[in-house]
Amino acid sequence: MSDIKDATLTPEVQRLHEGMEKVWGNPKGIRALTVVNHTTIGLRFMVTGAIFFLIGGLLAMLIRTQLAFPDNDFMSPEIYNQVFTMHGTVMMFLFAIPILEGLAIYMIPKMIGARDLVCPRLTAFGYFCYLFGGIILASSMILEMAPASGWFMYTPLSSGDYSPGPGSDFWLLGITFVEISALSAGVELVVSILRTRTQGMALHKMPLFAWYILAMALMIVVGFPPLILGSILLELERATGMPFFDVAGGGDPVLWAHLFWLFGHPEVYIIFLPGAGIVSTLIPVFAGRPIVGYGWVVAAIIIMGFVSFGLWVHHMFSLGIPQLALAFFSAASMLVAIPTGIQIFVWLSTLWLGRPRMTLPMLWIVGFLVIFVLGGLTGVMLALVPFNWQVHDTHFVVAHMHYVLVGGMLFPLMAGLYYWLPQVSGRMPSERLGKWSFWLIFLGFNITFLVMHWTGLLGMRRRVFTYDTAMGWDLYNLISSVGGFMMSAGVALLILDITLHFRFGKRAPQNPWGADTLEWAMPKPPTAYNFVSLPNVETRHPMWENPELPRAIYEGNHGLANIEHGRRETWGSDALTGKLRETIHLPSNSWWPLFASLALAAVCISLLVRVYWAGAVAALVAVVLLLRWSWENGAHPKMAPEATLEPSEPPLHYHTMNGPGVWTMSVSHLANGSLYLSLLFGWFYLWTVAPEWQMPQTSPLSMPLLVLAGVALTLGTLLLAKLVGRLRQDVDAGLGGGMYLTGMLGALQSALIGIVIWQAELAPTESAHDATLLVALIYALAHALLGAILCLLQGLRVGHGFVSAEMPMEPVVVLRLWYYNLVVYWTLFVAIWVMPTMLGGAS
Amino acid sequence: MKHLLRLTHPIQMVGGLTIWSIWFVAIYSGLSVACSVAPPDPGRDIWTGINLAVGLATLGTTALLLWLSWAGVWAARRTSVVRENYFARVSAGIYLFSAAATLFVGYPVIFLPPCL
Repeated sequence: MSDIKDATLTPEVQRLHEGMEKVWGNPKGIRALTVVNHTTIGLRFMVTGAIFFLIGGLLAMLIRTQLAFPDNDFMSPEIYNQVFTMHGTVMMFLFAIPILEGLAIYMIPKMIGARDLVCPRLTAFGYFCYLFGGIILASSMILEMAPASGWFMYTPLSSGDYSPGPGSDFWLLGITFVEISALSAGVELVVSILRTRTQGMALHKMPLFAWYILAMALMIVVGFPPLILGSILLELERATGMPFFDVAGGGDPVLWAHLFWLFGHPEVYIIFLPGAGIVSTLIPVFAGRPIVGYGWVVAAIIIMGFVSFGLWVHHMFSLGIPQLALAFFSAASMLVAIPTGIQIFVWLSTLWLGRPRMTLPMLWIVGFLVIFVLGGLTGVMLALVPFNWQVHDTHFVVAHMHYVLVGGMLFPLMAGLYYWLPQVSGRMPSERLGKWSFWLIFLGFNITFLVMHWTGLLGMRRRVFTYDTAMGWDLYNLISSVGGFMMSAGVALLILDITLHFRFGKRAPQNPWGADTLEWAMPKPPTAYNFVSLPNVETRHPMWENPELPRAIYEGNHGLANIEHGRRETWGSDALTGKLRETIHLPSNSWWPLFASLALAAVCISLLVRVYWAGAVAALVAVVLLLRWSWENGAHPKMAPEATLEPSEPPLHYHTMNGPGVWTMSVSHLANGSLYLSLLFGWFYLWTVAPEWQMPQTSPLSMPLLVLAGVALTLGTLLLAKLVGRLRQDVDAGLGGGMYLTGMLGALQSALIGIVIWQAELAPTESAHDATLLVALIYALAHALLGAILCLLQGLRVGHGFVSAEMPMEPVVVLRLWYYNLVVYWTLFVAIWVMPTMLGGAS
Repeated sequence: MKHLLRLTHPIQMVGGLTIWSIWFVAIYSGLSVACSVAPPDPGRDIWTGINLAVGLATLGTTALLLWLSWAGVWAARRTSVVRENYFARVSAGIYLFSAAATLFVGYPVIFLPPCL
């Protein structure tokens, strides 16, 4: 079948498409900065990620040039340190994660039959945070101030004493800024997958790729906050002298290693899972049969997601941890081979039982299988403590890491690129150029990194900038460098191929690979609204079971084929069954995401140059902008030009009490909770392990004031819960007043916490105990203030008629925050007042 | 909330690994705190209260997870709804994996002293 866009449409359907284009289409010129559409933002993520990949690749070539010969003086040691630090940082934080998020942002709505992600403005906000954070970080190289402590920034090397310049600050602030982007994408991908699948697409019927992205997004949500906390603490230490990682002040540098690897090891799987998702999507298509063991794969994904959080200490085997604890982590590290093995056997079985076609995307999949299995095997070797000690911090580990990450992510990504390229461009890729590129990269990669295992076994450390010829490493390093440049040639050919593709590629038919998933039911290149009508899908293989589906969708024969109201709409469905629950009204293009991220960039730069008053002003502006953004929501006239629906359609989401906003708040609290638990971990870790930690005999915090603040919070939560309960019974009398009263209770709690901080006379620059207490109290204060402000805004919104018994969703969202605050506050009270008071200055 | 406890609900797919995670955090943090606060005499080798506690926690958790796996299989057999059958079977498999993982990670207590 030729592309569905070529079909002849009736005038009525033609008008429908034109109406959709008017509502969903992207503006041009400067207003292109307001675009929130997932297709455009997904592509922006991927293109920006690809540019950072080229920068990271260039840095890799500089490293290989320096190491090609012994006693080479191509680079000074200082510059070399900056180059290898930025290579790892750029590849991990600015390329791997964002480009995979971009792919997920682009692909997920299309695969699950939705018109956009559930929070389009958040998508755009995430992109700008990534872009600005990336630019800030990359600019450090131009200024010759780049971080130089390695991509995992171990303390004390990265602390003020040993890295006095702004390099570490660039890393800490830039990465934290970029991680806002990762978290925002993680939250909305989770909610979108669970709540916006098309009608009938039950959880166990959704494409495997969506399972992989669901796991990846949840892992981002839980896994990134420990590093965000660590970065905040280290930046505080560097900027103000709070000694979180300084032994003399009661801190401990090993705390940084824990916080970093609590994030860092799951990140390997965050990168691998989408790659494996691509493999699980492509292999059935090119084998011409459904995947063998869908349930096994789902189980493997879940196991991998969990177990990957139990391995972080295997990066710290040489830090002096008791043997029994080492054994726990060694065993857990070996366990992760089981879900990986399940997937590999599932893929092989699917190929074995099908009729594989050796196309260009499959070539990359085969390359993946070879390289990733080799990387997995050395991974099991490294899980064994005695072997790990032998090769710790050598090029063997560097080789293993590249086999796992390049094999597990880059090769599947390339397979996915060639597979979905026709979907993006409407053209077929060039087999000839593509194969040349593959072989150059595949051979170049193996020449570089296979040999590097030997270099490592011969004892070459991973960070040395040069070596003596007497070490016997000359030939191996030269071979690795030649392989590296060969790989670069392959990448250059790849860029040439993709560039030529958009001009000379043959036009692609509707479903060029004979795929089974919904993204191939769309016109190519895709329209801004994805599907003009949303189909009912009750099978895992909609395109195989109904090849005429694209035409039926395009002719508007399915659901939500109405645009006269002028709203951007997609379906909200039950997370489990896929039954329709509501019509989600999506926000349209907006300047707020750009303005808010610009304000945050100003905060970042102000902190970097240490002009703190400017940082405070910019932070205030950012908060105001974010609140103003939140004001234009729900039933605000700018959002809802008309609130009428077809009688057959489910209600608009803000007329319900369980819309996507409630889910978004809940998932956000997973991230917030992870940050809080990391903070508690830091508190207890320093208390029990740090050699110079001093716990005072009596707590400096006022117990009566802390209890009073908790009582205000508890009363506020109960009052808000009562108001929401009345809304459930369609009663909104006294709603506005109740919201103001709740807000006042939140304000009282904030004031009391403020007084506690003021009265305590903490000395945060002198002891890690006081510094940690201060951070914990500021965390509680920020949440109390947020709860108060949101309730006061709700009171205003009730007055404007945006919230009522007819539109009851927003108070439910705010109530989630208050519940969270309640749990956090009282557990914090136990951790920082009750337990120290009971145990006294025991340590 | 009661429906979440049924072994045919998809939340059960993360139940086994959640229990495993709690057990894992408990034994690692318990071991670290115990070794920091009250390290046993190295001469006692594996015959310490720490090894005993970790060992008992391991056996108890393994037994619980095995029972849940078995219950998942029964729940899958009892239901006639395809979706419920699917989630119960996958959950049973993950409970079984979690049980094996608990035993595998915990068994070094029988040959390694805790704080050396």
